[in-house]
Formats: sequence, structure tokens, C-alpha cells
Amino acid sequence: MGYTIAEKILARAAGRDTVKAGDEVMAKPDFVLAYDFPGYTDVYFKQMEEEFGIDKVAEPERFGIFIDHMVPVASPKEEELHKGTRAWCEKNDVALYERKGIGHQVAAEVGYATPGAFVVHFDGHISQLGTFGTLAIGLRRNVLEAFVREKVSIKVPETVRVNLHGSLRPGVMARDVFHHIVRVLGPSSCRFQVLELGGDGLEDLTTEGIQSITCLAMFTGALTAIVNPNQDRLDYALPRAKKELEPVYSDPDASYAATHDIDLSELEPVVVIPPTPANTRNLSEFVGLDVQSGYLGSCASGRLEDIEIAARILEGRQVKTGFMLHVIPTSHEIMAEAGRRGYLSTLAEAGAYLSTSSCDFCYGRIATMTEGQRAVSTGTLNVKGRMGSPDSEIYLCNAAAVAASAIEGRIADPRDYL
Amino acid sequence: MTLENLHGRVAYIFEEDDFDVDQIVGVKNIKIQDLDELAGLAMASYDPDFATQVQPGDVIVGGHNFGFGHPHYPPMKALRHLGVAGVIAESFSPGYWRGEISMGFPQVSCPGIRAFVERWDTVEVDWEAGVIRNLDKGTEIVFEPLAHADRAMLEAGGLLGYLKANPEEKTQ
Repeated sequence: MGYTIAEKILARAAGRDTVKAGDEVMAKPDFVLAYDFPGYTDVYFKQMEEEFGIDKVAEPERFGIFIDHMVPVASPKEEELHKGTRAWCEKNDVALYERKGIGHQVAAEVGYATPGAFVVHFDGHISQLGTFGTLAIGLRRNVLEAFVREKVSIKVPETVRVNLHGSLRPGVMARDVFHHIVRVLGPSSCRFQVLELGGDGLEDLTTEGIQSITCLAMFTGALTAIVNPNQDRLDYALPRAKKELEPVYSDPDASYAATHDIDLSELEPVVVIPPTPANTRNLSEFVGLDVQSGYLGSCASGRLEDIEIAARILEGRQVKTGFMLHVIPTSHEIMAEAGRRGYLSTLAEAGAYLSTSSCDFCYGRIATMTEGQRAVSTGTLNVKGRMGSPDSEIYLCNAAAVAASAIEGRIADPRDYL
Repeated sequence: MTLENLHGRVAYIFEEDDFDVDQIVGVKNIKIQDLDELAGLAMASYDPDFATQVQPGDVIVGGHNFGFGHPHYPPMKALRHLGVAGVIAESFSPGYWRGEISMGFPQVSCPGIRAFVERWDTVEVDWEAGVIRNLDKGTEIVFEPLAHADRAMLEAGGLLGYLKANPEEKTQ
């Protein structure tokens, strides 16, 4: 019996020849990542010194810190947090990526998405590094273990394999594929497991699209998602890789907890209605519902293909008067390229509000909704209060649907504009 | 170290699957830090008399994928402040599970628990025997064993205690 890519990565990280799902091991993360956030990094840094006497990390090259929330700051207190983060990174010789974009995307751009690497973070959306054959797991508070010890305790997860087949129809995007997976498999289908994507349909998706899917793995209950990287993914990741590692792949006879097949050609645009990521419906059922705000961005969406399709839909058209469309590219690298390609000027002329990359739109720190307002959003989450008042609502959908809805001021089907 | 058995009444049963724990205090209260204030708000929309009826050592029962969504820490802080000693659910969402185990708050994954208890039954979680006993009905049910690291974390009272128990392994 063969091994999954997740088992192979954890075997190496645990210093063993092989491990199997269910084994409890101590594994050394190749990289330990975090963004600064009150109650998280400030607490870890303090605890490291005061509780564990660690003045300086032993292998600074294994650590990477991002400043992407509270960018730009809106209070001296927020700036104090960032100041503390900068000071810790300087003292520890740890790489700091500030104002480069949303960390989970920047992590791939700067080379933490090393194929075959084991990466930990506190935030589960780091799962998107799995696009490049990296096993990246969000440990929540337990990431402290990785800050104060060389290894973290982990139970080797089982893997659920999802084979994608065929190709998407116009107006249907990778984002819909993920929500469709939740709809078909269920929000607890991959609990404590790894979601491994495969199948010929994967070739129909872009690297960006796969990042969008792997980013959201947690809403199937999965610890992370991963892909056996093809040449495109390796061509992106290997020249940037921060560590020399041999990419690994699942064996053809690897053991899976379950295998599912999804025909991409059957999908239509999906909307996830409030208040949970489990509420997946066909967008067509909600066409016409009034919306006041639109968010195109986040670590899940907001990449070139998202911005491109929005620009294509909005070219020569106008955002409806009174509708607030926010377009926030996921990283500076993406924003610069979107500018070179002319997408940003098209969106600006159409009346979109454009902002440099920041996490803050996704969790209601800015562009905050008040009671009774409703948004279409490519953000990560639609729970109550996520983008402002607990009495506002978030309808998650793909970037094309956000753009189409911005024209009409109500939920619209992007296929009518393509 | 040993883990003390849980022994208490089932103070509430959340029947629904994929339960979002933030609802326990209400999303609009999720940023409140004061424990007395949080505890005063907890369960208000489920049972307004909860705070007066719950006793130290009681447990909460939940459905499948308990803790799904984007769980925050205040709801369970509030329940612990009211004396709730643990949560038994059909199954748990991993993010919630990790978060609460790291707080040293016992979580028990037990398929079949909803059918096994009624509200206010007294139960005992026997960690060594791997069973939950319904002391009112004289029945018992097997629960899923804890991973060693999870058990060690609960024994140490949470993540900090667990990490301090092995200081030689720190990175420096």
C-alpha cells in the first residue's frame, strides 16, 4: 500500500522513513508563519520570553511574519501592535512582510509554498499553500508550540480525495467549485482530514483558482487541502522556494478515507447564504435580491482572474448609484499586474472603489456594514457580524457575480454579462 | 498526571449539527472580555434561566461538527465561568476542538451522545475506561479516545502547562 502526499511530507518532517494516517508524531515544521493580530502574536512573543525564556529563535529562517491586518492602521494602539511586531522580527532576525499583501498569498509569492514542505500558522487559510504541494496547517493557539519548540505534536491525518473532471462553463469559477464541494460532500465531510484535489479537471483550473479552493478547505472540516503539483505549479514555486526539497506526490495506490468525483461541467454559479458557510445554493435562486455592498478581494479571491472577469463585466458599464463596490487585490504583486493590464483603470472608470491590499475589508474593520445592509462578497466567510453589524448579511459568491450585482444593485447572474 | 473524570448533569443539549458556538453569547457580544458580563449574556436566547440552573461540573452536549464556522473563545470562557466542566458532542469541528483543548477545556467526541442522554441526566466521563455513563439510566456508551497530545494538554490544564512540562524541547 502506498502513501499520500500528506503522509510523505509528515514522514520527512518527523524524521521517519514512513508514517501512516493515525500515527501520532512530533514533526518539525519547515516554516512557521503568522500575521500580527492582538491576542495572537503579541501574546506569543510575550509568552516566549516570559514563560519560556526564549529571547531569540534558534533558526530564524524557519519563521515568517506578515503585517496584513490593520493596514493601514486607524489608531495609535494598532500602530503599537505593528511596532512591537517589527521590533520582535528585527531582534529575532525573522523575515517580516509588511504591506506586501495578504500574507497567505504573499507566502506563496516569496517562497514559503515550497513543494514538499510542512508549514504551520495559527490561521487555517494558510491551507492554500497546498496548491503547490505544501502541507500547510492552521493550528490556532497551538502554533505557540512551533514558536517555543522545534517540533509540533500532530496526528497524521487521513486524506479524502476529490477528483475533478471536465471543465467549467463561462461565468462559473473556482470559487464555485469549492462551495459545490461543500454542498455535495457536506461541511463535516473531511473533518480532521486532508482534502486532496486531483483529476483531469484540475488541469482546467488556473493556479489562482486552485489557491481559491485550497484556501477554504476548513469549511469541509479539513485540516488543510493539497494538490500533487503539476509542472505549472512547480514552475511557479520552485524558483521562489525558500528551501531545497524534493517535491513529493501521492502514490497511485495510496490509501484514502474516501474518494469523490465531481464533474465541473455540471456546475453553475453558487451563492452561500447567511449565516453559515454550509448554506450553499445556486445563485440563480437568489437573483434579484437587493444588495448595497460588494467586496471583491480576500485571501480566497481577489487574484488576477477575479479582477480580470470583473473588469470585463464592468467595462463600458457603471456601478449602480449608491452601490458600494470594493475591489482589493490580494497582493501588491497582483495589483501591479492588474494595473499593467488595464483592469484597474476599467474598474475605476466603472465606479469601483479600489484599495491596496489589506485583510481589513474581509472582517468588517473597514467598509463596515450597518444593520439591515446586505453584501455580495468573495470574502472567506458569511457568519453573522463578519463584515459589521450582526444584523447585516453576507452572500458569498464568485468575483463575476459580485461585478454583475454591482451593476444592478441586486444579486445578478454573471452569465448575462459574459 | 491524571485527568479527573467529568461528573455532572447535562445542562443543555444543542441538537443541531454544525453548531456555531458564537451564538451562545450572541455575535454582537463576541468582543466582550469581562467574564461576569459574558456569563450574564450566555445562553440568553436558548434558556434565560440557564445561569441560575447550571451547577459547577455540569456538561454541555452537542451534535455533529460542533464548533463549525469561525469560533471565538468568549462563548466557552463564559460557560466555564458558569461552571460548565466539558462538552460532549457527536463530533467536533477541528478548529474549535484545537482551540478549546489548548484552553484545557475537556471535549469528548462521542457518536450517539444525543440519543444517550436527556437534559439534566447526570453523566460521568470515565477517561480510563473510555466510556460515558448515564447515571440516571444506568447505561454506558464508548467515546472516541483522545490523541496522546490532546490528553497531555488537558492533563496539564492547557497549552501553556503542556509546553512547560517539556522545557528541554524548546527551540533555543
